[in-house]
Amino acid sequence: MARVAREMVEKSGINVDQLVELLVKNAAAELTTYYYYTILRCNLIGLEGEGIKEIAETARVEDRNHFEALVPRIYELGGKLPEDMKAFHDASACPPARLPKDPTDIKAMLTVLVEAERCAVRGYTHICNMTAGKDHRTYDLSQAILNEEIEHESWFSEFLGEGPSGHFMRRGETSPFVSKFLR
Amino acid sequence: MKDRRLKEFSNEELARYNGKKGAPAYVAYRGKVYDVSMSFLWKEGNHQVVHRAGEDLTDAMEQAPHGVDILEKFPVVGTLQTKDARHGSSFKELE
Repeated sequence: MARVAREMVEKSGINVDQLVELLVKNAAAELTTYYYYTILRCNLIGLEGEGIKEIAETARVEDRNHFEALVPRIYELGGKLPEDMKAFHDASACPPARLPKDPTDIKAMLTVLVEAERCAVRGYTHICNMTAGKDHRTYDLSQAILNEEIEHESWFSEFLGEGPSGHFMRRGETSPFVSKFLR
Repeated sequence: MKDRRLKEFSNEELARYNGKKGAPAYVAYRGKVYDVSMSFLWKEGNHQVVHRAGEDLTDAMEQAPHGVDILEKFPVVGTLQTKDARHGSSFKELE
C-alpha cells in the first residue's frame, strides 16, 4: 500500500474503501469482458463475422490492458483482488458479455459488444466524477481507460448503423491512452 | 377481471424490499416502484457500491452516469406514497 497516497485521497473527502470497491468491480468487469470477448471473437466467422473480428480483438486486448492497469492502483490504495475467482467474476460492475443464442446473428453479436462498452463508459465516467480534482492518480487512470472505452463503444455503434464513429482502426500498438500505465 | 391497481408503498414498506436474505430488490424513482431483483447489477440489493435497494433513488438518479431509460426496462410493482397521502386504501389506480 502507498500509505501517504491513500491518506491524501482520504483527506480530499473521498471514501477510499468505496473507491477501492468500485475499482475492484471495474477490474472484474475488464477481466471477465476479456474472457467473454474471446468467445465472441472466436464465433465471429464467415464473411460478416470476419469484418468485425479484428476490431473485436482490439477491444478485447485493450480491456485486458485496463485490468492490468487497474490492479496496481487497487493495491496502492490498500485494497486487494478477491482470492476466489468466481467471486471476482460475480462482483463485476457490468453484466457478462455472453454469446448470443444465435452467434451467426451479427447484429446480436454487435449488441452484446456495444452494451458491454456502454456499461464500461458509465462506470469510468462515474469514477472520473468521483475523483476529479481529488484523487489525481485514479482520475488520470480512469480517464485514460474511459477514452479507450468510448472509442470501443463508437466502433461497435458504427457497425450497428448508428452513425459514424469518426475513428479509424488502431494503426500500430493497442491502448494509446492506457499504455503509459503498463510500463 | 384483472386487478389493475398498484400497491402503494410507504418508505418503511419499501425498505423491506432491500434484496437481502432472499427478499426482492425494489427501488423507487419519481413515485414509481421498480423490481430490479433480476438485474445482475443489483445482486444482494447493492448497486455499484453506493446504492441500496429498498430506497427512493430519485435524487441519486440526478448524479447517475445513466438515464431513466435504464430503469424503465424493469417491471413497475407499485407507487411510493407521497408525504401528504391520506389514510385508507393502500392501492392506487393505474393512470
